[in-house]
Amino acid sequence: MSGQARFDFKGRLKADSFVEFARHRAARLSLAIKVGQANDDAITLQVWGAAELVDAFEMACSLGPYDCVVLDVARHDRELAA
Amino acid sequence: MEGGNLWHPVGLSYSIEAGTSAGTHLFGQELVVWRDSSGLAHVWEDRCPHRGMKLSFGFVRGDHIACLYHGWQYDRAGYCQYIPAHPGLDVPKTFKVPVYQTQEWGGMIWTTLSSDPVPFPAERDPTVPLRSLYTDGSVEAAVGALKSVRLVPFAAQGSADTIVEQVAETLYAVSCGEDRILAGVQSTSDVRIALHLAICGPSERYEGAGQSHFLDFALQVRRAIEHPRPDGPAVPGVAAEMN
Repeated sequence: MSGQARFDFKGRLKADSFVEFARHRAARLSLAIKVGQANDDAITLQVWGAAELVDAFEMACSLGPYDCVVLDVARHDRELAA
Repeated sequence: MEGGNLWHPVGLSYSIEAGTSAGTHLFGQELVVWRDSSGLAHVWEDRCPHRGMKLSFGFVRGDHIACLYHGWQYDRAGYCQYIPAHPGLDVPKTFKVPVYQTQEWGGMIWTTLSSDPVPFPAERDPTVPLRSLYTDGSVEAAVGALKSVRLVPFAAQGSADTIVEQVAETLYAVSCGEDRILAGVQSTSDVRIALHLAICGPSERYEGAGQSHFLDFALQVRRAIEHPRPDGPAVPGVAAEMN
């Protein structure tokens, strides 16, 4: 089953570092990614691909890279046809 | 890249049974050596792409190796084929362990970190495993030790000279009369090496008594690596044995 989700990450972030980390993880998980708003307080990402791997992406980004502290994650799902 | 386009021994063939795995190092890089149930040996990066667990802690099932941590299963080419937590998932090809070319020759498992290695010897003479020595020391110390210890013939009596020749960049042969020991040198790190020793010849001739006989040679080589002497016979006991 394919899935699509938008994530809003908030915390003490370094936008470049976090986005690079997210892109790397998305590539590893074979997910397409689109970066929305990105600053040092909040970053919005949209990913789509296998639903299980969207979950894995959320798990990875909830921790984030070593120089970022994620304090809050909001997820907005949209199910796609397989 | 350390190791260049050379082949390096990473263990004696007999030490990795079908269906088992073991960790080793080459120039500090962590590798897993494993043998599938059909008997084919594999050398991979020792790291599951999922959470970084060493695959050498995993278990072999048929022609797959599975990570101990979450059970992700990898096929012979290193691709993840099955994730137990998501049995229906068509696993992306991006979940792949780096794999290295692997050969077996002279009773040893060989690998190269290069994608374009030098050709591998074609001949396949029978060997009998002797011993792998893991010790602090350099390749130079190992070669020096091989040259300093006399190889006592197994069956024949007499006083044939011990001859040490370099067969390949990482392989030496120590001969005395009809007896010949292959010594593959593995640089596990900057300060540690492994020396894999195998006896050339048929198992009917050397298995058992022959292995016991040459074990003394192996132990003397170890001692010579760990306690090198600037001149003369390198190890206590050798001089006496030669007299």
